[in-house]
Amino acid sequence: MKIKERTSPQGIILDLEGDLTYANQAVFKAAVEKAKQAGCRHLIVNMEQVRFVDSAGLGLLVLVSQSFKRLQAQVSMLKPQSYVREIMSLANIPKMIPIYENENDALVARAA
Amino acid sequence: MKSNAMQSIGQDAGSSAQTEPPAATILLIEDERVTRTSMAARLTRLGYRVLEAENGLVGLDVARRERPDLLIVDWMMPEMDGPTFCEAVRRDPLLKSSQTLLMTAHDKPAQIAEGLARGADDFLSKSASKQEIVARVLAGLRTSRLVRKLETTGSQLESSMRLLQTKQAEMEADLQSAADFVQSILPAQGSPVQGISLAWEYQPALTLGGDLFGVASIDAEHLGLYILDASGHGVAAALRSASLMTFLRVEHMLQLIGSYDPEKVLFEANRRFPLSDEGEYFTLWVGQLHLPTRSLSYASAGHHGVLHSPAEKPSRWLTHPSSPLGFDPAAVFPGGRMTLQPTDRLFLMSDGIYEASSPTGEPWGRWRFQQAIETQKRSPLASTISHCFTEARRWQEQCDFFDDAAVVGLELTI
Repeated sequence: MKIKERTSPQGIILDLEGDLTYANQAVFKAAVEKAKQAGCRHLIVNMEQVRFVDSAGLGLLVLVSQSFKRLQAQVSMLKPQSYVREIMSLANIPKMIPIYENENDALVARAA
Repeated sequence: MKSNAMQSIGQDAGSSAQTEPPAATILLIEDERVTRTSMAARLTRLGYRVLEAENGLVGLDVARRERPDLLIVDWMMPEMDGPTFCEAVRRDPLLKSSQTLLMTAHDKPAQIAEGLARGADDFLSKSASKQEIVARVLAGLRTSRLVRKLETTGSQLESSMRLLQTKQAEMEADLQSAADFVQSILPAQGSPVQGISLAWEYQPALTLGGDLFGVASIDAEHLGLYILDASGHGVAAALRSASLMTFLRVEHMLQLIGSYDPEKVLFEANRRFPLSDEGEYFTLWVGQLHLPTRSLSYASAGHHGVLHSPAEKPSRWLTHPSSPLGFDPAAVFPGGRMTLQPTDRLFLMSDGIYEASSPTGEPWGRWRFQQAIETQKRSPLASTISHCFTEARRWQEQCDFFDDAAVVGLELTI
C-alpha cells in the first residue's frame, strides 16, 4: 500500500492506495504516527483508492479513531469504494469515523 | 620407496611471500630428488611449510593425513603420474576440493588441456621464474582459502538447516496437536438435541484459526448457539478466541447474567473484551432457540454471516449494522426475534468463506454464497455446506483460504 500525505490548515490528509490489510498495517501505522507527531487535530483518511479492507485494517481504523479521540482530535474518512463502504457500514464505523464525499466537506466539518 | 613425507618449515624469506600467511602448507610431489629439494627450498624460503612426497601414492597418503593448502605435483612420475594423481584427488571425498598445480617441463596446449581435464587446477613450469612460481602458488592458495571457507560455511549451513528442520517439525507437531484439540472442543456433528441437525465445516487459514462456534443446551427447552471470529488468524487469534469461547460457556453465562439472552451476552462480552492495543477484536453472533416454540432470539456484534434458509422461501440474511466487540464501549446490541419452521435451516459462517477472492481480487461475496445455499435446498445439510466450500474454492482457484473459513448449519428436522 502506498500512502501520500498532504497538509492543509484544517488537517492532514492521507491518500491511501492499495489494500488496508494486516500485511500493510505497519505502513499505515507509521503514517498515522507521523501525523500525530506533527500535532494533527484532524486526520482525513482518503479511501478512494482502497480496494479492500480486512478485519485487521478495520480494527486499525477504529484504534486510530479512539486514539485521536483521546487527544480531542478527530478522524474522518473520504470517498470509500462501495465494497469498503459496505464493510464500514455493517460495522457501524460511520458512527465513529464520519464519511465524506469530498475533501472540502471533510475539512469544513472539522473547522466548524 | 620412501614412505615418509619430508617436511621443511620455511623462514620468512622474502618480499614475494608477504601477501600470503606463512603458515600455509604445500605438499610437493616429485620423484626426482634434486628437483624436489630445490623446489622445496624455494617454497620454504618464501615462507611456506613444505611437505614432500616422492610419488603419487605417498602423496595421497600425506594429503589425506595433513590436508595441505596446496598440492604441487610433477607430471612424470613412476607408479602414479601427475594426472592420475589429480584424478585420484578428485575422486577422494576428503581431498576433492584441494587446489592442485601440475608441474611440467612442457607447456604444449594439448598437454595443458589433458591436465586440466584430469583434475589439475593450474600449471607450473619446471623452468618457471621465481616470480611466476610465487604468483601461481599465491593464486592457488587464494583459491584454496576460498574453497575451504565455502566448505566450512556450507557445513555450518547444513548443520543449521538440520537444526531448523528439527525445530520446525517440533513446532508443527505442537501446532497440529493444538489444532486437534480445538477441533475436539467444537460441537459434535449430528443431533445436539432432538429435532435439530447440526453439520459444519471449518478450514483455518493456518494450522490454528481464530474462528470458533458453539451449540449447546442451555436447559431442557433452550439451545444456545454462537459463532465468533477473531480478527487476524494463526496462533494469536486462536488463543484470543479460546478465551472468548470460555467466557461464552453456558455455565459461565448462567452464573454471570442468569440467562443466555443474546443481547445481554453481547453487552457483557463487549465490556470484557475491548479493542486491544494492536487493534484486535471479535465479531460475535449469539442466538438462543426456544425448542418448543422454535422461537429464535439473536443479537450480533459486527457479525454478518448468518443466513436463514427456509425450505420453500428465499433465504435471507439476519444482518443489521452493529459494532464488533470493543469498537464502542457504550454499544448496545439490539436483538432480533423470529420463529423457525420445521425444515428451516440456519447457517452461521465466518467472513473467510465469502471473502474468498478470485485471482483478480473480486470477493466471492455473500450473494454468491446465498446462491450456493439456494441451489442445495434439497440436498442434505452436510452436502450443502460442502458445496459452499467447493464453490468458494472454485472461485478463488485454490484450495486454501486466506482467512479462516467456517460454515455451521442447523436444520430443524421436526
